[in-house]
Formats: sequence, structure tokens, C-alpha cells
Amino acid sequence: MMALIATIVTISSLFVAFSEGITAQQQENVFVTHSGAVVKTTGDILDPLYTASTVEFDPMEYLRDFNYGRVSQLSDGTTLREFTIIANDDEIMEVSTGIFYNVWTFNGTVPGPTIRATEGDLLRINFINNGSKEHTIHFHGIHPAEMDGVFEPVGGNGGQFVYEFTAGPVGVHPYHCHVMPLEEHIVHGLYGVFIVDPKEERPPADEMVMVLNGFDTDFDTENNFYAANTIPFYYQHHPIQINTDELIRIYVVNMVEFDPINNFHLHGNLYKYYPTGTDLVPSFYTDMITLSQTERGIMEFEYEYPGKYLFHAHKVEFSEKGWTGIFMVNDNEEEKESDEYGT
Amino acid sequence: MELDNKSSKVKLIASGLIPFAFLIILMAYIFGPGSDLLDLGVPLPEITVEKVDFLDSEIQVTVRNTGPISVEVAMADINDRIQPAAVEPDKYLNRYETALVRIPFEWNEAEPYRIGITIEDGTRFEKEIKAAAPAVKPSIELAWFFAIIGTYVGIIPVMIGLLWLPFIKRISKQKYHFFLALTVGLLLFLGIDSVEEALEVSKENLADVFNGGLLAATVTVLSFLGLYYASEKLLKTTKSSRLTKPVAIALMISIGIGLHNFGEGLAIGAAVGMGSIAFSTFLIIGFALHNTTEGIAIAAPMSREKKVIGKLAIMGMIAGSPAIFGAWVGGFSYSPFSSVIFLSIGAGAIFQVIIIILNMIRVDCNNNLSTASVVSGISVGMVVMYLTGILI
Repeated sequence: MMALIATIVTISSLFVAFSEGITAQQQENVFVTHSGAVVKTTGDILDPLYTASTVEFDPMEYLRDFNYGRVSQLSDGTTLREFTIIANDDEIMEVSTGIFYNVWTFNGTVPGPTIRATEGDLLRINFINNGSKEHTIHFHGIHPAEMDGVFEPVGGNGGQFVYEFTAGPVGVHPYHCHVMPLEEHIVHGLYGVFIVDPKEERPPADEMVMVLNGFDTDFDTENNFYAANTIPFYYQHHPIQINTDELIRIYVVNMVEFDPINNFHLHGNLYKYYPTGTDLVPSFYTDMITLSQTERGIMEFEYEYPGKYLFHAHKVEFSEKGWTGIFMVNDNEEEKESDEYGT
Repeated sequence: MELDNKSSKVKLIASGLIPFAFLIILMAYIFGPGSDLLDLGVPLPEITVEKVDFLDSEIQVTVRNTGPISVEVAMADINDRIQPAAVEPDKYLNRYETALVRIPFEWNEAEPYRIGITIEDGTRFEKEIKAAAPAVKPSIELAWFFAIIGTYVGIIPVMIGLLWLPFIKRISKQKYHFFLALTVGLLLFLGIDSVEEALEVSKENLADVFNGGLLAATVTVLSFLGLYYASEKLLKTTKSSRLTKPVAIALMISIGIGLHNFGEGLAIGAAVGMGSIAFSTFLIIGFALHNTTEGIAIAAPMSREKKVIGKLAIMGMIAGSPAIFGAWVGGFSYSPFSSVIFLSIGAGAIFQVIIIILNMIRVDCNNNLSTASVVSGISVGMVVMYLTGILI
């Protein structure tokens, strides 16, 4: 009988030890859901959607950051633009609040720097590979075969290569590493945007770059996160401030892998769309474009009414995994401070 | 002399402890700070979603760190769509620690959901719920409901089974042996059934780290040994107490069956608790039919006794009523870990009872277990159980 009792005591103590013993803490945190429900918790909040937070990479800074290079004139009057791009593949970056992923980078960020030149400029890109693997830069555009960044892999740990070609054609193009396995090198973050302006400048506008990208953080060939400019939901809790009656121009490039398509839907407005930006006359007037891998273009629009407008993938799965943001349209006369979404 | 005694005691203790000391030094050398002997590869984090509860406008997920290193819960999703959530008490989970992830969500009843939890390195762990059902809230009504179900499943069928007693009383010794052996067959089936169930629960719901199969084996063996020891003691005391040997055996059988029925109650309570109502109806009917045979198992050894009605009723209660307690535990505080343990205890108890009955037959027929009545009895018992099991 003793053994029976002993067994029962042991079992019941195990049962107690492994049941959920959750002790309450003192301070309370609060977050608000999309439907307005206020949730109180004594624990931690996991909310990449509405709770404003910052991570190492700043999408707001990247948004309007254009690099024109070190400019000089050649004897024949051609403008020479020199850039230095350094590849790395050992950085661990916080790609979403609390989630750390090994990104491979051009100049330390995903996407790499936005390179901008005028059609006909001579580009000289000094490429240094500080990674442990071979990398290259493959520019979309027109250039000699040996400048294509495919058959000239640059060795790691300081390998160098100089890409030199004339900027063209006019438009918005991606650049990315083209070392095999290609998908691996792209999805880890080795890509960026290359803009070629027409010799006669486009009308002045509030210009932005949006790279539509994603991260497969668990390596199952499906993206866990999507975003415009890397950080999921960033422009949702940090709305992009723009003004009414001001021309907005977005250079949009789709770098999402694994999923065959991506798209871009704008709320409360339509935009003129220039596929690949190669033409100066818009092809579409729409609020929805569909983009395949590395498909890109230029969007132009103006807001008539002030307020809060969403923009997001209408492939809603992507928007619910981060590819969504807000334009906070301020009245042009009196620029007002805007509320943050969800508060 | 005394001094000698003392020094020999010290020597004894020392000789017992010295190997331990060396073992500690060995462990310190292998695992201690600065040792990179076992620095083999990258330890992979792992968490297990143990439980998902659907409350008012909220889904609550219990996660446990079942990996070799501590983890940080970073994100929650439902159907692979990111959701804001809270994690209590906090997002840092040491080994084996649990946390409650609260996800505000307007869920729809009876729809399937996949709950995903992502940790700090971006790995996502998923648990699929086949049909959302409101979480069971402990209430008097529900406790009463479980008590009634437990009565139907446990007590009443066992009592019905006991009604075969007058029949068994009137039959010849050989036929009596047949019925005892039949009991063995029934119990053997139940024992294997319990083990299978324990292995199934551990495979489906228990994290690998708990080593469910070996947990079941260990607990089964411990339960068997514990009850074996206890029953030997009990049988020895029959000489000096009012209990006769057959009554003591019947009592052991009813305790064993009671432990088994606790496991059955657990299964029913858990099925109701997890919202699989159709499944639990099946369980209830199946167990009720099954359990009438358990009444025979208790009645058979008692059939050569007199004035047994009162004792039988008590044993029926011992065997049947644990189903009620099982349903309470399973319905109100289900955990796969405790399920495996209870099922294994039941299995061990049943195997122990089998040994006792076989022993009883053996003594009764002069060390011969290979009689036609014994062999056919066990076979028929197994077949009957199998058939009542699949007929539902």
C-alpha cells in the first residue's frame, strides 16, 4: 500500500510541477488592436503591427536617400560618378522587432544604397567583397558583357572589382549579387536600386524609393516577412509625411523571391505608372499594379484631400505579414503634426 | 570494539562516496567553464505549443521551451498572418519554462486554425487546431456533467458486469477457470490499449524532449512493481484479517481497473475540453460497452465466496468511480504529460492484476496453465474486447 501511496504522491507532485504556474508581475502594459480593443497585460507585448518601435535599419532614412557618387568631369565633358560598394555576409540584423536574421549586405544595409545618375554619365563602381563567400554586383541595364557581374565572381575577404559603364537606359533598375546559388544570395539581402534620370529632368517632386522585399527567416523557401523597405509594418507605425497638392514620385522595385507576384495598391487615389521608368509618358492610370521578380517602375500621384491613407500589397497575405504602410497627407498650408496609427 | 565499528563505518561511507567525487570531477571537466570538449555544432532552439484555448475574442497559447537553450518569444501569428499579442509572464523562456501567449482575435467556432509562434532567430513553430471550440470553463454544471458521464462510463457498466456473478457461481470448476482466463484476456487487451494510448498521446502532443515512449515505459513498470509489492503484502495479511484471498484478489483487480478507468475518464474529459464533442460521444459509448466486461473481471474471482453483494458494490465503486475524477482532471486541467503518466499507471496496474489472476489459476490447477479452458478463455477475452472496440 505504501508503494501505491508513494507512486500517487510522486505523480501528483510531477503534475503540479509541470502545470502552468504563471506568476503575475506588477506593472501593466497596454496595446491596442486594429479593431480598437485595448489589451492589458502584465507581460511583454509582441506587436510589430501598431506599436511604434525602431530597429537598426531606418526605412525612413532610406526612403529619400539618393547617392549621386563622387562627381568629376572627364576631359570630354562626360560626368564621372564614382561609388564604393562593400559587400558583407556576416551581419546579424533585427529584421522585425525581436527577430534577428543573418543579412548579406551592400554597404551594411538591406537594400544597399540607391545609386542615382543621369543618362550618359560614366559610372565607376569600386566593389570590395569583405564577405566570406564570393559576391558580385549585377546591374540591370545596358553595359558590356564583362561588366555584367555574372562570370567574374569576386572572392571574399577583400576581393575587388571595378564595374565601369555608361548609365542607361533611363529608368529604375535593380542591382543584385549574381553568384550561385542565386536565390540564396538575393534573399539574404544583396540588392539595391539604380536610378537613371533622363537628361532633361523630370518635374520636381517629393521622391522616394520603395523596395518591396521579404525575408525567409526559417529557410523553408517561404517568406516569413514582407515589407516596403525591409522592416515589416514600419510605415504603418511611422507614417510617411507628405503634403496635399504636391507631386509624389515613387521608384518601386519588387525584389520578393519565392512568391511569383507582388503588387502595390494605393488608397484614396490613383497613380500614373511608368513601367521600368523607361518612358516619359505613363502607361497606366491605376491604383493597382502587379509586379513579378525584379519588375519595377515609377509611380506619380498627388493627394487632394489631407488625412491618413494606406498603401499595401493587395495580395493580402503579404500585407498581413508586413508589406503595408500609411501616407499621412498634411494640408499644404499649415503642416500639422500627425497622430500615430492605432493610438 | 566500538572504535573499530566506527572506523569501519567511516570506511564504508567513504568507499561509497569516493566514486561520486570522481564522477563530479569528470562532469566538471567535461561541462565546466572553459571546457570546449563538447562544443559540437550549433544547438537548435525548440518550443512546443502545448495548449490552445479559444476565449472571448482572444486565443491563448501555452508554449514551452523544449529545446536545449533558452529562447525569446518574438511574434505570434494565426493562419500565417502576423497578429499583435502579449506574452505572460514574459517573453524569455529558459529550458522547460512555459509562457502564455495571448492573441486578441475574433475567431469563428468550428473553423480550423494554425497558430504560429516565432522566436528570436526567426524560426516559426506551428500548432494546428482542427476546429475551434470555446475553452471549457470550470463550473459546477460542467463538473456535474462530467460526474454523470463518469457514472455512465465507469460505475454503471461495471455494476452491470457484476450481475454475471450468479451465472459464474453456478458453473463447473473448468468453466470457472475459463471465465478467470477470459478476465485475463480482457485485461491484457486493456493493458495493451492503455500503453498504445499513452504512446499516441506522447507522440502527438508531448515534446520530444520528454521522451514520451520511455516515460510511458518507466511509469508502467513502476506502477506494476508498486502494485505488485502492495498486493503481495495485502494477500499475506488475508490470513490475519477478515479478507479472504479471492476477495483480496478481486480488490486488487478493482484497484487496477479503477486506475485504468481514471485514464479513460481523462480521455473523455480532455476530448470534451478540447471541443471534439463528436469524438467524445464515441469515446463514451465505446468505454461504456467495454467496461461491462470489467465487471466480469471483478466478479469472477469472487464467485466462490459467500455474502459478497456488499463487497462487490464497493469494488464496483472502486473500479468505476475514478472515471469521474479522470473526467474532471482531463476536462479542467488537461496536460499531455499527466495524461501519459495516468495512462501508464493504469497499464502497469492492469498487468499486475493479470499476474495475480494467472497465479490464482495456476495454484488452483496444479501449476498447469496450458489447459483448454485457460487458453480459450484468454483468447476469447482478447477477441471480445477487440470486437466491442471496433463495433462502435
